Amino acid sequence: MTSLRKVAIAGVGYSQVGRHTGLSERHHAAQAAVAALGDAGLDAADIDGATTWGGDATDFAWMLGMGPLRWHLNVGVSPAFITPAIHAAMAVATGQCDVCIAFRIMMQQPSAAQIASGAATLASPSMEDAGMMYPFGDFSPTQWAGLLTNRYLHDSDATEEHFARFAVVQREHAVRNEEALQRTPLTVEDYLAAPYISKPVRLLDCDLPCDSGSAVIFTTEERARDLRQKPVLVEASALSSIRDMNFELLDDMTHTSPAHCAQVLWSRTSLKPGDVDCAQLYDGFSVITFQWLEALGLCDPGAAGPFIAEGNTRLGGSLPVNTDGGACNVGRRHGANFCIEATRQLRGTCGVRQVDGAEVAVWANAVGPFSGAMLLTAG
Amino acid sequence: MSAPAPPTPAPGAISEFFWSGARRGQLMIQRCQACGTYIHLPRPVCRACHSFDLLGEPVSGRGSLYSFTETHRPFHPFFVDRVPYLVAVVELEEQAGLRVLTNLVRVAEADVRIGMAVQVEFERLSDDLTIPVFAPAVAA
Repeated sequence: MTSLRKVAIAGVGYSQVGRHTGLSERHHAAQAAVAALGDAGLDAADIDGATTWGGDATDFAWMLGMGPLRWHLNVGVSPAFITPAIHAAMAVATGQCDVCIAFRIMMQQPSAAQIASGAATLASPSMEDAGMMYPFGDFSPTQWAGLLTNRYLHDSDATEEHFARFAVVQREHAVRNEEALQRTPLTVEDYLAAPYISKPVRLLDCDLPCDSGSAVIFTTEERARDLRQKPVLVEASALSSIRDMNFELLDDMTHTSPAHCAQVLWSRTSLKPGDVDCAQLYDGFSVITFQWLEALGLCDPGAAGPFIAEGNTRLGGSLPVNTDGGACNVGRRHGANFCIEATRQLRGTCGVRQVDGAEVAVWANAVGPFSGAMLLTAG
Repeated sequence: MSAPAPPTPAPGAISEFFWSGARRGQLMIQRCQACGTYIHLPRPVCRACHSFDLLGEPVSGRGSLYSFTETHRPFHPFFVDRVPYLVAVVELEEQAGLRVLTNLVRVAEADVRIGMAVQVEFERLSDDLTIPVFAPAVAA
């Protein structure tokens, strides 16, 4: 094996993200890829590697005139966009390909009302295990989120008001992001008035279901230096799996996979938590961001609630978090928005929501049984 | 119009002993016959010793509450008239970390406390399906 090559992010792009867009999976992939190629200043013919979660990488590549591909991979159930992202970075680092596009294409899930009426059903990765949960009325990720949040409230210093402050801060950031789907300012009172889905999880603790296509192009640092954008370098990355997919049966619901993942991530870099200028941390449910803040050592153990309530995670605070507004506000892009926002912050192109002098950013996906994280630096 | 049926376990799965036990009024948990480790959810192999000699065995039904959530939205037609209801995770006394996903009954959400002692009982949802649920333990 030759030595590993330094990897950079050269281009990022989104499709026309929205609720019930009426566009197909291929349409979202095509829009996101065209946007990412244009952002990088690359032609389709430059792409020699492709990976996706959602749809098929070879199908997208042929449709877009990419290839021939020297490397391709379809990712199955995994911790969101971090998995295709890390695979793409590894493929470039090891020389399997030189310019790799990573996709997350996600179509809007059925609503609770559609499911309750019998018009739609929830998919499950293992029907045998699901059969042990469904008779108890346990069907939805919002319910394991309720279990994790109640246990977190029991184990930590956090309160319901801290969760309200988190939602308010995320919305403040979304107000400054023209790509966000929710941009109306939010108050603590609005949060507390929102209905419970599975108490203590409220509607405003959940990411916003939508159709989304996201694409990120990884290449070598050397190649990236000749392209349109300032390179953003992959400093370190880590994946973690600590058990099967039964979130409900986690040994410790407060210290889940992110705690392990963060340990692995920091073991692969000389950078320290104190070097991070902004953090883009998964918020499929609010408690996930709280867990990541503590797991990564960005605040004290058990102290994410007070840390947020003191204003640290706001733009202008000591550690701006989810500066695009998070998936609660930009819509469910399944982790890709955190990669794209981290990249844009390190390029310095975020305009009214730019973190001054941002040179190190961490983005992280998922919680519970599995997770992943990537540390990026300005090139 | 007939009432919606409850969701049923996967037919023919290795967890069949769990459901037949519940119909008899017994909480059954898979146990490795080689090393004695309890395993839940049921699996074809023991993760402690790799023995394939596994059987469902009755357990005490006593445990403590690890976490809970009060579900307000129905995600299945059967639960439309049952919301809000309590989904809970109970740690059984037989083994540290041995947890079951269940429902908590005969207690108001405001009175639920993590760590409280609970005891199994059985709720018949249909002719074919009885589920093991938990209620606050009555002091002996």
